Amino acid sequence: MALLDLQTALGRLVRVPAGEDPFRGLHLTAGERASLVAVVDSAGFAFTVDVQRSWCAGRAANAARLTLSMLSADERQRLLADWVNAGGGTPSFFAAEADAFLDFIARRLPDPSHALTLCRVEQATLRAREGTLRFAVPDPSRLDAPACILRAGRYAALVRFHAQPQLLLAALEGQPLPPVSRETTPVLFGPGLTGLSRLASGDEVALWERLAAPGALSVLSREGHRREAIESLVAAGIVEASG
Amino acid sequence: MPNRSTALGSAASGTVIRPLGVGLPYIASLPAELYNPALVDFVEITPETLCRVRWNGRDGAIELVPDKLEQARRTCGMLPIVIHGVELSIGSVQGLNAAYLDMLDAFQACWPFAWHSEHLGFQTIRGDNGATLDVGVPLPQPATEEAAQIVSARSAAILRRYGVPFLLENAAYYLDGLPADPDIGDDIGLMRAITERSGCSQLLDLHNVYCNAVNHNIDPLAAIGGMPLSRVMEIHVAGGSWQHGFWMDAHDNRVPARVWDLLTHTLPRTPNVAGVVFEMLEEHAVRLGADVIADELTTARDIWRRHQQR
Repeated sequence: MALLDLQTALGRLVRVPAGEDPFRGLHLTAGERASLVAVVDSAGFAFTVDVQRSWCAGRAANAARLTLSMLSADERQRLLADWVNAGGGTPSFFAAEADAFLDFIARRLPDPSHALTLCRVEQATLRAREGTLRFAVPDPSRLDAPACILRAGRYAALVRFHAQPQLLLAALEGQPLPPVSRETTPVLFGPGLTGLSRLASGDEVALWERLAAPGALSVLSREGHRREAIESLVAAGIVEASG
Repeated sequence: MPNRSTALGSAASGTVIRPLGVGLPYIASLPAELYNPALVDFVEITPETLCRVRWNGRDGAIELVPDKLEQARRTCGMLPIVIHGVELSIGSVQGLNAAYLDMLDAFQACWPFAWHSEHLGFQTIRGDNGATLDVGVPLPQPATEEAAQIVSARSAAILRRYGVPFLLENAAYYLDGLPADPDIGDDIGLMRAITERSGCSQLLDLHNVYCNAVNHNIDPLAAIGGMPLSRVMEIHVAGGSWQHGFWMDAHDNRVPARVWDLLTHTLPRTPNVAGVVFEMLEEHAVRLGADVIADELTTARDIWRRHQQR
């Protein structure tokens, strides 16, 4: 049996035993298939899959520690199992997959809920931290270019808390969970912010929401968005300027 | 300790390797006081624990994180270091992890190591789109001629690239009945073939031998006897635990008495051995605590010193 076929089959079988045909596209004789099926039927294979599942779930859990801590043990196990059964959790450096895992969780949480808020916080922090590797405070004169276009930062986010943020964070330390309020407290995340986040002002929220689609600086100014707010968000990597 | 150098180090890489003694893995959350010449002679660093990945599209570069590297250097002080990687996937037909080697180039340039090691196995496969896919857990390399050829060629190239000995670790495996070629035989024959053809050395993990012996009803002394003992440069000891009917290489406990016995048995038979390392996983190391770790290091040193005095 060619090593490529053997490794591919084994790897597929361990990753997702109940998934697609693990032998698809491989050049295996009937005898070779039978020998692999015998391996799969062994207790050692089942144990190898258990170990793989445990490692993958552990990597995923580390990426969403705050969010998962808000859920019941059953719900936590179910989310992790669903992710791992779909082939998730395999990269040792899980950061590459963490964003997708947090999206996966977010789609399964009630909106609004504190768990969803924390999920968005973990995702925003992850993106802002990734952005610190690439972000440099831009030259403010970029805003003076006649065709300057503004857009939401690639590594930025705005998360709305449905309680005072400090109360929600205290709940993670064992304090009672605050009620889910209809009023929200907006928090900005960006690679240029000290600690990667801070409370957002009303002006900043309005600008962020306006930049759901990119806009020319001249148009935004005419709409009443203040230059000081724009400069401050550009300096923090929350808004990006080009042109 | 007698001041002798290993012939293996000289022959394999042109460098002279002096026996280091007993080592401890670098674990950032352990008390720095453990990394003390009174307790350990060298430190084994898994460089990936000091790294992060920077993504450029589908490709990821493994980068050393300066703060983590600096903390490790402060903790290790003047102790010599060796490298024990986990991300190379040297046996993958799809290709080994070139980003790991790029990172190791940078590591060696700023913090030279006496030797480096990796695991004999594979943890990536070819995905349906041709891209590399992580399996999520290391799998044992089949004992085939093709596997021996691939790993031998890669090991020889790695040996040349770094100019210091490169060691491959024998694996603990739970899978049974993988295809094997008669000329290679089993995992031990595969290790023999690779070390002979490539000039690389072996990291003999005695707890892995113990796991395989317990789980597959193998005589551990016969397994050790079959290994290329003259090429063993480092030995690992570790603890494990029973899980679902298997003795797992979990690195979660003290070293079993039987593994200490295997160390006593093996040291006189490995003329080029230069170090023994007590391995633990970080979460278990913190749970076991500094006193237990110091105790295990003392046991390893007692055995090592008795061996050196012979």
